[in-house]
Amino acid sequence: MIRIENISQRYRYNGRESATILSDINLTIPEGQFVCLLGPSGCGKTTLLNLVAGFIKPSRGRILFNDARVTGPGPERGVVFQDATLFPWLTVRQNVEFGLRQRGLNNNDRTKTATEYLHLVGMALHANAYPHTLSGGMRQRIAIARVLALEPQALLMDEPFSSLDVNSREHLQDELLRVWDAHRRTLLYVTHSVEEAVYLADRVIIMGPAPKSIYGDMILSLKRPRKRLSAEFHDIIASLRTSLDALPCCIKPSEKKSDRIL
Amino acid sequence: MGRSILKNLIPVLIFMLLWQTIALMVTAVKGVPFPTPWQTGVKLGSLLGGQFLSDHTLYRHILDSLARWLFGFGIAAIAGIGYGLAAGWSRPFEDATYKILHILQLIPGLAWIPVAILIFGIGETATIFMIAMTAFTPVAINVLSGVKRLDTTFVRAALMMGAGRKALFLQVLLPGSLPAILSGLRIGLGNGWRVLVAAEMIVGTGTGLGYSIIQARWTLDYASAFACLGVICAIGLVFEQFIFNPLEQRTIERWALDRDA
Repeated sequence: MIRIENISQRYRYNGRESATILSDINLTIPEGQFVCLLGPSGCGKTTLLNLVAGFIKPSRGRILFNDARVTGPGPERGVVFQDATLFPWLTVRQNVEFGLRQRGLNNNDRTKTATEYLHLVGMALHANAYPHTLSGGMRQRIAIARVLALEPQALLMDEPFSSLDVNSREHLQDELLRVWDAHRRTLLYVTHSVEEAVYLADRVIIMGPAPKSIYGDMILSLKRPRKRLSAEFHDIIASLRTSLDALPCCIKPSEKKSDRIL
Repeated sequence: MGRSILKNLIPVLIFMLLWQTIALMVTAVKGVPFPTPWQTGVKLGSLLGGQFLSDHTLYRHILDSLARWLFGFGIAAIAGIGYGLAAGWSRPFEDATYKILHILQLIPGLAWIPVAILIFGIGETATIFMIAMTAFTPVAINVLSGVKRLDTTFVRAALMMGAGRKALFLQVLLPGSLPAILSGLRIGLGNGWRVLVAAEMIVGTGTGLGYSIIQARWTLDYASAFACLGVICAIGLVFEQFIFNPLEQRTIERWALDRDA
């Protein structure tokens, strides 16, 4: 369970002025729920995800994960980034083994587990390839395998398929649902695509610009597997679109490049 | 294949032609014998054949220069990589020291001569000190910027997967900045080589290619001086072509970075 309590987040520009990205966010995400954070770019979806991941510290408020306060990143909250961010100096298998190695698994177990998860995402044949030889969709599959191998209690995904072509995106959405369905882990998924949110989520949270950051919170009771072409599906998309269109425009915050987390 | 040989040969031919022209012109106009490519080649041949040059064989000079160079460069490489990783790791350390690096960078290699002589006196150690000083800065600066440029998401990904500080350093920062380390080493090696030859000319080491050039000048043996210049170029080329190019090629390919990134 993820609990977000009174979270506010400010960014500093040039060390002086500051902009409020998130203000007074309260959310509870129960175990096993698939939640999409939906909203235009610049409204703080990624910031909220980074807070839950522990990559950044909140200006105010706190985040609890299974009743323990989040103070930094950790393998119980696996993150899939917008870019796969596989380590280019490691092979596909070594990339998946990275987290297992940190856990102190021996060589044999590592290889076995990694192969298993590569199988799960259909990439076992490419275990010995280097990431630069693979397509964007393949890399993102490996990024998912790498995170699943951590056996996290929650998955955090930041627009993971947004840079892929439509065909691979829909494929990967289906595979993600299949994997999620097998374990029912809590899944927090950032997207700006209404279709994607409606296709994937149990619950959609609509975010807009501060000072009121959450504009809507909606449970989708559409049965799975969902049909992308059904009338119901389109009705929900249309109603979500209407509420999104009503939002004022967001200003893109420039996350400082020099922000180091070390 | 034939075409690429031709392509590599053309600049050499142009260079030889220019050299020949200048040699003939200088000899004609100023009346001093300027060695032509042919004369230099013949001289180089006899030096390679064992003829003595300022009391030693050419091989002795080459080996002594190489030894000084690699020793000084080795010190610079270890110190530079160490500094770059440490400063990239710790922001306060970087803030406290980075300005010094910039000042060091502004000092031309030869300007270290008085410092070197004051500290170490005339001779071997002074030369090595100068090489180390000039090779250190490019290595340090490159490694530091390589560590800093390393994508934040790499570090985040590693931490998310449970990497501790040691693993983060050894399994992410170090391999991740390898391309930057290599290009720093390459520049440092080149700088060191250049200052080595100059330092040998002035600091007076008794052997070495730079020393030989300056000695040959005193004895008006310009052909030998030119032959030494040729050897210096050849050694530089060998290191470039057979060590750094293949290494960089491999890392660039795998790291999927291009040259101007």
